[in-house]
Amino acid sequence: MTAVKHPVCPASALPSGERKIVEVGGRSIGVFNVGGTYYALRNSCPHKAAPLCLGPITGLVTGPEPGRYVVERQGEVVRCPWHGWEFDILTGRSLYNPHHVRVRRYAVSVERGGAANRDAGDPRVETFAVSVEQDWVMLHLDR
Amino acid sequence: MVIEHAVHGRMDDRMTQWYAIDTDIHHDYHDKEDLYPYLSQTYRERLRDYGFDEGGGLYANNGGVLGRRGDTLDPADPEDTTTAAKNVGNVITNLLDGAGINLGILTGSTIKGTSSMTDLDYASALCRAFNDYSINHWLAADPRFRFAMAVCSQDPEGAAAEIDRIGDHPGVVAVILPCGAPRAYGQRFYRPIHEACARNNLTIALHFAGEGGGINPAPTAAGYPSYYIESRLPRPSFYQAHLASFVFEGLFQRYPTMKVAMLEGGFGWVPAYLWRMDSDWKGLRYQTPWIDRLPSEIVTDHVRFASQPIDEPDTPEDLLTVVRWMHGERTLMFATDYPHWDWDDPAQPFTTFPKELRHRIFVANALDAFPKLAPSLAPSAVAP
Repeated sequence: MTAVKHPVCPASALPSGERKIVEVGGRSIGVFNVGGTYYALRNSCPHKAAPLCLGPITGLVTGPEPGRYVVERQGEVVRCPWHGWEFDILTGRSLYNPHHVRVRRYAVSVERGGAANRDAGDPRVETFAVSVEQDWVMLHLDR
Repeated sequence: MVIEHAVHGRMDDRMTQWYAIDTDIHHDYHDKEDLYPYLSQTYRERLRDYGFDEGGGLYANNGGVLGRRGDTLDPADPEDTTTAAKNVGNVITNLLDGAGINLGILTGSTIKGTSSMTDLDYASALCRAFNDYSINHWLAADPRFRFAMAVCSQDPEGAAAEIDRIGDHPGVVAVILPCGAPRAYGQRFYRPIHEACARNNLTIALHFAGEGGGINPAPTAAGYPSYYIESRLPRPSFYQAHLASFVFEGLFQRYPTMKVAMLEGGFGWVPAYLWRMDSDWKGLRYQTPWIDRLPSEIVTDHVRFASQPIDEPDTPEDLLTVVRWMHGERTLMFATDYPHWDWDDPAQPFTTFPKELRHRIFVANALDAFPKLAPSLAPSAVAP
């Protein structure tokens, strides 16, 4: 299976802690910058098809006993804006049942002058002024 | 009218020709100032300076984003960010047009907190102002809206006067009684409300609110739990207590055309409740002998349950069995609960049900539950 790379935006346009929703090939996909690394998830919750990637970006909250809250991995969890199901942005796996409930994830890379190098980009992808000097966030979709 | 599309849902082709009635939409005034034109100077200043107990203070946290569907937050309207929809244009865009709702009943939100207040006259004045505001600003905004009016339920005489004041408005289809109350709503204490609803052809609509607030008893039968999720889970018990009261106090014998709508109480609990009701009655019939047939038959004839929140069995197909068990072809009606975070998208539930049953849930049972709905609709609009 070969992947097609779609330019998302210049890396400078998607700072850490932020997300960007793109429409590619009829699919809505959320691209996240988590501490300088980029991840992409299908923007559709497996529960009720809500726009998952629009939800709050938060952390992993655990509690060893009542009244104690431990927040770790801040910025690595997205919580669905409808019914609140939580997903690991890095893996697409749900927190409550990671082995069976997950959202499709896509590979993302950063490439210098990526928009100019794209091999078969979708014309509906948002376009930017292309500069070969810039780092670009590239979304990889199976052909 | 035809459902054109659903913004976020998966619209299957069997759905596209269907009319969908939403029996529970939460609206509210946008700013306190919206109510001022309808209040005396005394109450206007009191609302301005002190507000009122809007309920929900006991468990101030909620779900979703600020208690609502996070994708309905409107950057252009920072006030429209609470558990209630405050922007009528956004409801029309997101829900009526966006999700494909052809007729929707507005049920209010914070105004239900008036049922926990000690000052009956202030509470009644707030309800009256909210009712006039809702008629003037929401019913007038779109012909697809209907309204379940607010009353101060702990003041039955005052509530009856308010029902008689606006009950003949064609857009007013029900009277909201908040579940939090010091007495069960079938009791004769509330007879002025029963009478006023009957003579105005209005449905009694129970809705979760006010439990544990102000003058009302604890929010659960086991007192005051610690966490929000615990406060949610016993909610059906409030509907159960009021429902038993309606049935065994003989409300439906006294008012043979009376309908009761149970809003935001879910329905997964209903089958076991009906079974227990019948089995208890068979051995205890002589204690309430005015109940002269199976109580489950009385419920099926007079009571309709709004679907939200829809239970999710481990095996999804089992939901149809639950609906059959509760005689859902007569008793279950759809509601979104918009804009709450746990809302139900009309495009999603019950898609595998037989078409006739879907028509009962999305249309016919709501028309049964609210007798004032049907006369305002064209017959073609509600045909299966």
